[in-house]
Amino acid sequence: MTLWLIKTSLFCLLNVMIALFLSPLCEGIMRKLRAALHSRFGPPITQPYWDLLKLLGKEDLRSTGGIVYALMPAATLASVLLLAALVPMGVAAPLAFAGDFIVVLYVATMSSVLIMLIGFASASPYASIGSSREMMMLLSVEPILAVALCVGAFKAKTLALVGIVNWQEQNGPSISMAIAGVAFFLALQAVAGKLPFDIAEADQEIMGGPLVEQSGPRLALIRWAMWAKQLVLAFLLVEVFFPWPHFGTGLDLVATLVKVLMVLVLVMLIDVVNPRLRIDQAMGYFMRVGVSSLAALAFAVIGK
Amino acid sequence: MATTTIDRATGVKEAIAACCDGALLSATQPSPDTLQFAIEKTVMRAIVASLVDNFEARFLISVGTDKRPITGDFAVSHVFSLDHDHLYVLLESPVSEKDPRIDSITEVIPGADWAEREFRDAIGVHPDGHPDPRRLLLADDWPEGVFPLRKDVPYNYQPPRAENVRPQMREPPAGASVLPIGPFFPVLEEPAYWRMFVEGETVVGCDTRIFYNHRGIEKLGESALTYNEIPYLAERICGICGFIHSTCYCQAVEKAAGIDVPRRAKYIRTIMLELERIHSHLLWLGIAGHIIGFDTVLMQIWRIREPVMWLCEEISGNRKTYGMNTVGGLRRDLPDQIKPKLLETLAAVEKEAIAVRNAIVGDTTLQARTKGVGPLTHEWAKKICAVGPPARASGVAIDARIDHPYAAYDEVPPRIATQEAGDTWARVLVRVAELLESIRLVREALLALPQSPIRAEIKEDIPPGRVGVSVVEAPRGEAIHIVLTGGHNRPYRWRVRAPTYPNLQALSAMVAGANIADVPITLGSLDPCFSCTERLETVDPRTRKVRVYSRGELLEISRSRTRGGGAR
Repeated sequence: MTLWLIKTSLFCLLNVMIALFLSPLCEGIMRKLRAALHSRFGPPITQPYWDLLKLLGKEDLRSTGGIVYALMPAATLASVLLLAALVPMGVAAPLAFAGDFIVVLYVATMSSVLIMLIGFASASPYASIGSSREMMMLLSVEPILAVALCVGAFKAKTLALVGIVNWQEQNGPSISMAIAGVAFFLALQAVAGKLPFDIAEADQEIMGGPLVEQSGPRLALIRWAMWAKQLVLAFLLVEVFFPWPHFGTGLDLVATLVKVLMVLVLVMLIDVVNPRLRIDQAMGYFMRVGVSSLAALAFAVIGK
Repeated sequence: MATTTIDRATGVKEAIAACCDGALLSATQPSPDTLQFAIEKTVMRAIVASLVDNFEARFLISVGTDKRPITGDFAVSHVFSLDHDHLYVLLESPVSEKDPRIDSITEVIPGADWAEREFRDAIGVHPDGHPDPRRLLLADDWPEGVFPLRKDVPYNYQPPRAENVRPQMREPPAGASVLPIGPFFPVLEEPAYWRMFVEGETVVGCDTRIFYNHRGIEKLGESALTYNEIPYLAERICGICGFIHSTCYCQAVEKAAGIDVPRRAKYIRTIMLELERIHSHLLWLGIAGHIIGFDTVLMQIWRIREPVMWLCEEISGNRKTYGMNTVGGLRRDLPDQIKPKLLETLAAVEKEAIAVRNAIVGDTTLQARTKGVGPLTHEWAKKICAVGPPARASGVAIDARIDHPYAAYDEVPPRIATQEAGDTWARVLVRVAELLESIRLVREALLALPQSPIRAEIKEDIPPGRVGVSVVEAPRGEAIHIVLTGGHNRPYRWRVRAPTYPNLQALSAMVAGANIADVPITLGSLDPCFSCTERLETVDPRTRKVRVYSRGELLEISRSRTRGGGAR
């Protein structure tokens, strides 16, 4: 029992460490890539670490009081780290026993809801507009994530994420899982807040939306949470939908990392070649994606 | 050609004089393309209405002048353009100091709104019946009853500091909340303040306070500088279209004084004006991309733009603010040995501009963000007197280069690009077409560049009391300079109107009913103009030592960076 506890804690720690300390590096690589496509030199790959360090060392300015406003940034990061422990990242999810993919979805939603609450608590018109946009995005994207994972659950005949991953690994590619994977990827673009879906932040329109009143350590925690979240969700996408090829424990971790990087590079490429959509256009787009992801369910039902 | 213009001018002159009837005080023709009528102020509104109805006159600007030292009265003139007849018409009324009021014409011409508020602020003649007589030009803490353009107010007058003053802004309609855009906002490069009245994400109205950047340039020109110093001040009105303002000013003085500018100078002015249009339109395309979050467009287009800036630097010594213009011509010739390089750079820019055009035209997401956004109807564009690409994108085919040819545009005429849709997408298309057209114009002007001196010799003093109206088609629309000559080797009155002035007045109609997300790009699609700073201070955080970089050092740093010599 004690051994099991130690082992689980260690794996939790590993996942949390990956999410915390690898995510700024991924962000750095994405920035460098964007700069290359812009014909710029771009910042060094390690710049996001320095950004965090600098922001964490700054004065904590608060536009309003209130416990919601005070605790949100830390809670946001905490929710993402919890998500990291629930998602398989190269090895099986350490907290898999705690719940099935529905719990994962809930925890994944938490950070968005918390950022929304920060916006509403900031007493700024830009933040309110940003938060209501965030809510609309959440409502359009969340069903897609759910449907995509449902397809897996349907095929594997289990709600547990471990079961879905194992089934997918053993049974190889199928039409339904491929469609669901693509839908999940498109939703990831929005969850990561990348163009054309960075609508809730929209610097040029509402000056960062929910984050307009955040600065210093508070901004650092929120940014960190967002980077970690895009990394963890990329892991989830790779593990659930594209787990092959299988090499054996050590190499698996490396292979997964490479695949995750490829996903993030793809996210960045889409970001670079698109302008920002309007919220109504984005919602219409995800409505269509949602409807097509239902096709995946249909394929799953007929066993494809 | 010349005789028909004169015939037409005479005909129009007689026709307008006939409608003025008994109220006509005088009718003169200061220059072949300018008619000036002095009329009683009581009939001003009626005559303006008949000018608009019967002569298709397009309102340009109003000029308020303190003529008390000369005639004992103030003078208000409304300036019109008769585009088809290639004529300017000035309607001037004396307004006595005892009763400083004149009938407002804003009801007849909505586009006269700001112009009338401006002469009220500047010389204190009140436009009677103006629908919105709030302060426009003066700062909110400027004292009541001090009118800066009156001749008895010194140019360096400093009013006492006032506390707790706020702009007079309208309250939002019931149920709407206020979303402020400005005075400082990411997509506004200069201070300007809009209050958007919003319901959810929909804009239901807006109110504006601008003129935070008012620098008193007209007053300075009228009281402290001389004719030949003003071009350098005029060039600094704008950080992007500086050459346009200095050309426009010089042309106004040249016209007033009857100076004939040599052909070569006119050609070189044309080349520089078009180079300015090229880099300005490229700048705008980049910024428009940035506003809708498309930073790749911004970065790539500014990369394409950079060689044009280097070219300008090679020609004039400066990337911007060339200091080439002077009354009577130019101070600096275009060296012949730069021709091949100019053509080569133009070819490269053209190739990349075409590639960009093809990429933009095929981009459906870009179209989704710009089609149907910020509509400016043909009717309203005419009523609000919009100019430049926003007017042409709404089907109003006006272009000063065609309507009132100046510089060498009579010999290298441009082809005007127009669109009918009136939305942001149409404005993008118009500007892209103009960009390619400008490249063609520079090339043609360069091939036809005649040999002659570059400056007319001016032997006599410029006589006082002459009027010169000059319009130059800037990238954003027409810039207008009007000069009334005076003594002491300086203008008695110098009036400047930048193209953004009428276009910004169209904004409230363009954003009505829009989504908040579309407001920045709608504003951006007007290409509002902004100025630049020229000096920079850095503070070392450890030693707290302040270091002021000189112009030369800054120039050195930026050159080494842009040419790949510095960073990395």
